[in-house]
Amino acid sequence: MADATCAGCGCLCDDIVATVAGGRLEVSGTCALGDAWFADRAAGPVARLDGREASLDEAADAAAEILRNARAPLVYGLGRTSNEAQRRAVALAEAAGAIVDPARSGEAGLAFQAIGSSTATFGEIRDRAEVVVCWRADPVAANPRLLGRLRLDRTARGSRSLVVVDAQHTATAAEADAFVALEAAQDFEALWALRALVAGAPLDGDGAAGLPLDGLGDLAQRMRGARHVAILHSGGAELDALALLWLVRDLARDRHAVSLGLRRDGNAQGAEDVLAAQTGFPTAVSFARGHPRANPGELSAAALLARGEVDAALVIASDPLADLPHDAAQRLRDLPTVVIDARETATAQAARVAFAPAVDGIEVAGTAHRMDGVPVPLHALLASDRPAAADVLAAIAERL
Amino acid sequence: MLRITRGRVYDPANRIAGEVRDVCVQDGRIVDDVPAHARTIDARGMVVMPGGVDIHAHIAGPKVNAARKLLPDEHRADVVDRTAIARSGTGGTVPSTFTTGYRYALLGYTTVVEAATPPLAARQTLAELRDTPVIDALFLILMGNNLALFELIRSEPARVREAIAWWLQATGGYGVKLVNPGGVEMWKRDNGNVTSLDDEGPGVTPRQVIETIATAVHDLGLPHPVHVHCNNLGVPGNWRTTLDTLRTLDGRRAHLAHLQFHAYGGRVGGRPRSRAPELADYLNSHPELSADVGQVMFGPATTMTADAPVSAVLRDITHGRWVNADTEVETGCGIVPFTYRERNYVHALQWGIGLELFLLSRDPWRLVLSTDHPNGGSFLSYPRLIRLLMDRDFRNEQIGRVNQQAMRRTVLRDDLDREYTLEEIAIITRAGPARLLGLADKGHLGVGADADITIYDDREDREEMFSAPRYVIKDGVAVVEDGELRAARQGRLLRVGADYDTSIEPALEALFEDRYSVQFSSYPVREPWLLEPARTVAARGGP
Repeated sequence: MADATCAGCGCLCDDIVATVAGGRLEVSGTCALGDAWFADRAAGPVARLDGREASLDEAADAAAEILRNARAPLVYGLGRTSNEAQRRAVALAEAAGAIVDPARSGEAGLAFQAIGSSTATFGEIRDRAEVVVCWRADPVAANPRLLGRLRLDRTARGSRSLVVVDAQHTATAAEADAFVALEAAQDFEALWALRALVAGAPLDGDGAAGLPLDGLGDLAQRMRGARHVAILHSGGAELDALALLWLVRDLARDRHAVSLGLRRDGNAQGAEDVLAAQTGFPTAVSFARGHPRANPGELSAAALLARGEVDAALVIASDPLADLPHDAAQRLRDLPTVVIDARETATAQAARVAFAPAVDGIEVAGTAHRMDGVPVPLHALLASDRPAAADVLAAIAERL
Repeated sequence: MLRITRGRVYDPANRIAGEVRDVCVQDGRIVDDVPAHARTIDARGMVVMPGGVDIHAHIAGPKVNAARKLLPDEHRADVVDRTAIARSGTGGTVPSTFTTGYRYALLGYTTVVEAATPPLAARQTLAELRDTPVIDALFLILMGNNLALFELIRSEPARVREAIAWWLQATGGYGVKLVNPGGVEMWKRDNGNVTSLDDEGPGVTPRQVIETIATAVHDLGLPHPVHVHCNNLGVPGNWRTTLDTLRTLDGRRAHLAHLQFHAYGGRVGGRPRSRAPELADYLNSHPELSADVGQVMFGPATTMTADAPVSAVLRDITHGRWVNADTEVETGCGIVPFTYRERNYVHALQWGIGLELFLLSRDPWRLVLSTDHPNGGSFLSYPRLIRLLMDRDFRNEQIGRVNQQAMRRTVLRDDLDREYTLEEIAIITRAGPARLLGLADKGHLGVGADADITIYDDREDREEMFSAPRYVIKDGVAVVEDGELRAARQGRLLRVGADYDTSIEPALEALFEDRYSVQFSSYPVREPWLLEPARTVAARGGP
């Protein structure tokens, strides 16, 4: 029996028990996402070139050539690999003069840069938050063990309350004390109205028209009555994220208040942390001019692809063909692409060069950052003949 | 091999003050002599000192990285290109990792203390320090608001010593830091704080925390004594809390961080005044105590602290960007970008109090230079601070420019004629900090010491002189020549080695169980790539 960390989502549950018998891995303590994560490993060759099996050297040569010949290569993904691989990826991006953008980094970072935020680790929210709001976040589906880890299961939460605000009555809403139905386009107005309600200010009738004022009023009352409030969210557009951070800042005047962005990819937080440490910017960083330059929006992967402004891509542990908006994905399909991913993906299938390295957290030890920023060790539970993603990145970098 | 010839050498630890002599280097160490074919640096007209040692700065870890993310404006305005030997990066008051290492090296500093790491986040600090080239680095772990430790202080204070040793070994840390003991815990509960050392809110009083942990650190014989950021930082009248803290230490060794921020008279809610003379007196007469100043420098800064309630106060002054980040069991964190202005009464008073502390100190070995980077200003402002201390005319001119009401509250207008000598500067920027940290191989140029050496052109304008050393040698390698970065190797981690009775582990595991959200087994850092290369400095052990 060995300790294991599941990197199936940003919860990074480190209480998983692993047993290896006859080369087979058994895990217990996982959720359904975790079971899928532990089971999902590429079975094909370590390296492929134009769909056929290739040697590592051959593939690394080809990958380096693609990056060398590109004028504006994109390095994308990073959220499903270790901090150690991420460090290598940023170094490689710098050497290649590339643009690096973590997958699904979104626009919430811009809101953070405008006003900052108040946040907390799991243990703080678990032990202190009296009212927890899931704002357009559905952890029961996306981070299945999160409610349990925050002691928010109905049977465990006692007098603490859980409120869900979302367009649909989600799986998390089914666990909540209250649900407020809110159209997706109404975030900003609703959050701004909550700011007023929390401050006890009257609402302007026109601006508030169409908002679920009963539900929002009840939510405001709950938050006003609490000594400690936490809002869990899933990023969102810049202005919506800004409104949410302002609401928390308002709340924090008279009580403790924090927010936490939920992350789907196991080490999405680490990707932004590593990029920020090395460059000073968490997302959308271009090394084209020999130094880091960041401009989320302009330099975000989806926008660059849609505008046809990149001419090659290195995708690390991510499946942009499945995840990116359609027009960006179509552009990507036409670019010379290198994929380094321990999982078989649509993007890897379509890539000119594809590496299937050992899996970080199953076959390779490392570090990852939980969605609340806490660094957690990833363990090597199984031996593997495959190189680590970090080693593949180093091999490509050597050839540049 | 290297011979530095004919420079004027300032090596206060070996009582060398401006003597013209050779310094020889072999295999990364200072040696008596080297063969004639060794490379020679002709240091005629130059000043030779040990490499600088920064005893209190914030350069790595979650708090620093959150500030990096918060400051794209600063980073856009200060970019650093990739070169054949150096990684690219960005600067400003909170530079990226690589840039932090290069800029410290270019300033002649070779050892830096990261002064406040939540032990839970040690992996992040370690990873960032690996990416901070050239300098050797060490970090202090935050233990002043740790709920598991509070429980042990209540129930089994005798075992706190073992627990502290365990925590240091689990993290790779070097020493123990207390930040507003008890107060940060109250902040995380419901925006509270403590106001006196006898506040019982946290379940233990700040006094109990200070006494118990100072005793534990003393008994362990750690090379650096407990490093204390006192309660009531920034609050008018807080000098009484500071004195109370010092009296509570009662003969135990301790280092007070950024004393300037804790030296205010006046009444809560009113205007602060200077109590620097009283604190300087107390420090002068208590040889077991030391402090760094935490000088405020006019211009941009970024305040970042585990003392989160202070950041909320600053938020309400600037109405600008504010970060709060609570770490379970252990600490808080607050970040507020800040600009110190000459005409502002409070800022000018803070600036003046820092200078008073420097000028009234009688023992440079125990009152050393810091700006609490980047809280009082960037480490890049050290050369200007050195000029303020060395050049009385320059200082008086500056005193004449700033808020005069504030200056009237200090003794600076009494024309304090003291000018720091080069020897004293060498003490407060390298020899003193190294000694206070218990780093026997740092901060001096005696045979066997690390060959970390800085060579300056001897220029009348001390700010220019200290801004751009001519040569910087790290572990015997010339990393800076003619003011340019020439090599950028990885520095090492300096960590402490402290033995503990392993029977503390099950006790700690029980205390962890319901408090942390990570497993006890996940907590200790074991990854060799995070911990190496390192040098372990052994605790003396035993009381």
